[in-house]
Amino acid sequence: MSKIKIAGALLLSWVVALGAAVGPAHDLILCVTFRVPGGLTATALPLPLPPCGFHQRGADNRFTHFGPNYPRFNNLARDPRDPRVLYAASLNGVLCSTDGGESWRIGTSWDMTEPRDVCIDPHAPDHIYLALPDGIAVSNDRGLTWPRREIGLPRRGKYMQAVKVDRAQAGRVLAGCESGIYLTENGAQSWRRVFSTQATTTDLQQSPHDAQLWLATTQSDGALRSRDGGLTWEKIAGVPAAAALYNIAFDATNARRYAVASWTYGILTTEDGGETWSERNAGLPAPHRVFRLGIDPDNGRLYAGVYEAAVYESLDFGRTWRSAGFEHSVVYNFVFLPRFVNTPALAHLP
Amino acid sequence: MKRIFSLILLLTLTALSARAKSALSGPPPSTAPVLNEQQRQADYTRRIDEVLDFAAAGAKFKTNDPAKLDLVTIGARLVRGEDYAHCSQRVIELMSKPGTGPFWMFPTVSAAYLGRGRLTPAALASIRAAWRTRQLRGDTENHWMMYYASLYLMSELYPNDPAESWYTGKSSAENLAEARAYLIHWTDLSTSMGQGEFNPTEYIGEYAIPLLFLASWAKDPAIKERAHLMLDWIFAELATNTLNGVLRGPNSRTTEGPVAERWNAMASSFSWMLFGNTPPTAGYGGWGLYFALVAKNYNVPEVIYRIATDRQADYLQRDRARTRRRWRYSDELSPLVYKTNYLRTDYAVGSTRGGMIDPIQSHVWDVTWAEADPRKKHNTLFSMHPHSSMVAMQSAFICYPEPMIKAVTMEGKPTYDSPDKILGSSPYEQVFQDLDTVIALYDIPAGERFPHINGFFSKDLVKVTESPSGWIFAQGGRAYLAYRPLAGYTWIKYSHFAGGWAKVGLDLGGRILTSPHLKNGTIVQAASASEFPSFAAFQAAINALPLQFSLEPVPTVNFTTLRGKKVTCTYGQTPTVDGSPLDYSKWKLFEGPHLNSEVGSRRLTITHGQLERVLDLNALTATDRVRTP
Repeated sequence: MSKIKIAGALLLSWVVALGAAVGPAHDLILCVTFRVPGGLTATALPLPLPPCGFHQRGADNRFTHFGPNYPRFNNLARDPRDPRVLYAASLNGVLCSTDGGESWRIGTSWDMTEPRDVCIDPHAPDHIYLALPDGIAVSNDRGLTWPRREIGLPRRGKYMQAVKVDRAQAGRVLAGCESGIYLTENGAQSWRRVFSTQATTTDLQQSPHDAQLWLATTQSDGALRSRDGGLTWEKIAGVPAAAALYNIAFDATNARRYAVASWTYGILTTEDGGETWSERNAGLPAPHRVFRLGIDPDNGRLYAGVYEAAVYESLDFGRTWRSAGFEHSVVYNFVFLPRFVNTPALAHLP
Repeated sequence: MKRIFSLILLLTLTALSARAKSALSGPPPSTAPVLNEQQRQADYTRRIDEVLDFAAAGAKFKTNDPAKLDLVTIGARLVRGEDYAHCSQRVIELMSKPGTGPFWMFPTVSAAYLGRGRLTPAALASIRAAWRTRQLRGDTENHWMMYYASLYLMSELYPNDPAESWYTGKSSAENLAEARAYLIHWTDLSTSMGQGEFNPTEYIGEYAIPLLFLASWAKDPAIKERAHLMLDWIFAELATNTLNGVLRGPNSRTTEGPVAERWNAMASSFSWMLFGNTPPTAGYGGWGLYFALVAKNYNVPEVIYRIATDRQADYLQRDRARTRRRWRYSDELSPLVYKTNYLRTDYAVGSTRGGMIDPIQSHVWDVTWAEADPRKKHNTLFSMHPHSSMVAMQSAFICYPEPMIKAVTMEGKPTYDSPDKILGSSPYEQVFQDLDTVIALYDIPAGERFPHINGFFSKDLVKVTESPSGWIFAQGGRAYLAYRPLAGYTWIKYSHFAGGWAKVGLDLGGRILTSPHLKNGTIVQAASASEFPSFAAFQAAINALPLQFSLEPVPTVNFTTLRGKKVTCTYGQTPTVDGSPLDYSKWKLFEGPHLNSEVGSRRLTITHGQLERVLDLNALTATDRVRTP
């Protein structure tokens, strides 16, 4: 290892240590299930595996399970006004909690199932958007009712995997669907397609550095970038498009770093704003079937959930990896939520 | 008087003898209908008692060890008024580690209801408490049927409990309203547009059991009657589609075992319980045992019984159904399915029009012949395209593309990604049926994962003859069969997976005709052996039938059937019969001599001879009458 690399590693360790001393600004919650490799979920078998569902990182960097032992949570959203108010996209519909995850209510009824994503409008936190396999539901009353808001979405092709609110403008929301990316600018009163895809848009992310900059991943069209708040999109040339890309993330600590997760390609990263890309799979178990990645906004640490293997973390943006536990897991999401000042992350946690 | 005593003694001994000899291992039952109503009812009761005996004795565990009792054994003992103390103790143990999902929910419902006045208060309370833990709803229609029927009954049983006492976080009244809404939605949809999981070989229990629980225990008379009518509805479909109690294709969902060994499915155990005309399967259908717990609350209407058992003439039945929900890659959420079934004494022919139905477990068409004892017989003939694709998975499941194919092979569908499989449907298969003729055409795109078709040739076929004419002739039971591959082929061994959870394939005999041509086709013509003086005469008759076909640019067949119909089928076009194109849009929900229903009507007329029963899901009535000849 060169002296420069050693110095870099020491510097990074110091930054991480300093961050730990100050305390993270974000909570990390994994939406995770545990499986026998190639087999059933742990909830169906009496195996000595950890409970499925939410695992939250504590101050000591150890993870604690909270909520139900539940095999499939796709995302978790938290009311920015109240850390106890949570919304989870789950198999049964949206689960709502008003006590920090101690108890839950299935907010939706029989006519909505298996939402893929959930998000809250930070400017109108009573408004919650729920991505459904057959469209979208929007609650304007903190999850009590969930009417559909689908004017402008196609009759078919509205399978929705990702929904994200533009933090710069209330009621401005982007949705990743089977047939492309859709935009509403009036709180889902109406939608219009801003980009067409052959197959599903799998993820949408807004840059923490520039609210106009958005990235998307797709199954069929590679990775996409928008520099105008999602109005127009371009393919990112250096990212392969022959196989599905599962998700994408910005590094909040470095505006020029993004990373992409893929079953086929593993981890792809860029450190020059998307001009050049590198595979960062050395140190990940082969085959490097990365189901989900996340980047810690506090320190740029890169996490990779390798399918049915474990979670891996990298302190150098994918150049080296080490296991972070969660053996036999499938991570559906790395959820980073802004931590409330002087408030425990979730009410029940120490 | 002495003669009366002798008669009573004889009847008693006969009954005891019948009771002592398990239907599981005894000779196959008579397929002749029992026309005496009292005798029919007595037979039904005896069969249900046999199942209860089995369940009460520990079912598959065959144990009296209280520590090993499962909920079906507990249920059977409660029904029989036995062993309340051990049952209570065991219920408390079981509920201390609650399971999750519909397959845990409905057994606990049976304990909750059957345990009233029998289990200790602590045991009943343990069941109720277990319903605080999370329950998964699942993602298929049968999951939801079990889930909502169970939630409905538990919410009715505990009507005033607060939201925090239920896993849903909703009050009893809210749970009840949601469950009721779904149950009404499902029955309305199924009786107006058709079943989504039609003619399932295994999943019949997943509908019949919750429906019977609702019919037995629901307090709301409207739900109770609705469930009762739906039981009649699905059993009428079962009766109409079985051959001596054996459910044949097409099937929305079946598994690797019964797609070859047609009898070996839970549907046969239901046929045995309801109609008595085929042997029950091992363990009386496994968890189908739960049906027997309250089966005495249900009486099979005579008209349904007679359809299943009293076949005096050939019949053609045409029905509609729905596919499984398609979230993606489809112009419709649940495309319509058109089914054709032609049943004769010696064999039956059934089909859908092909295309994707369920992405994994559909069976599109076959000729199935009658066997005196159907056990261990692979009494069927068909071809199919072994389709396996990520698009199909993603259409039906909320999933990423890559992991799902392997995942399903680990979860009860072991052959899904096998090139040699014989289970499943394909978007590249189109099927036409007229009476006992089937024409299946294939136009498989280049690059398809498995670029060939498979024809299933059973170990139980005899006289298999590859004729220079291109036809392959065979005999199955009392049926003569002619199979015309439209492209070259080779033979491979058939490897039998005994069921969805089988780990390895067994070499039981039989072959697969595998044809590696993308543009392809199969013609099958069946006939009764009794129609011909000899097998050679049958072959001569088939060879004499006018047949022209071509495979480019798409497969096209012009064929005059054994029944004299001039049929033209071209892949991608509407088939014609005697020059007239088929108009599927005019098909009714059910149309035939036994079942008739208009699309959207929610009303089914069930007919056999002069007997008629009308199920009206609008008025929630069942009306019987004897029609004037």
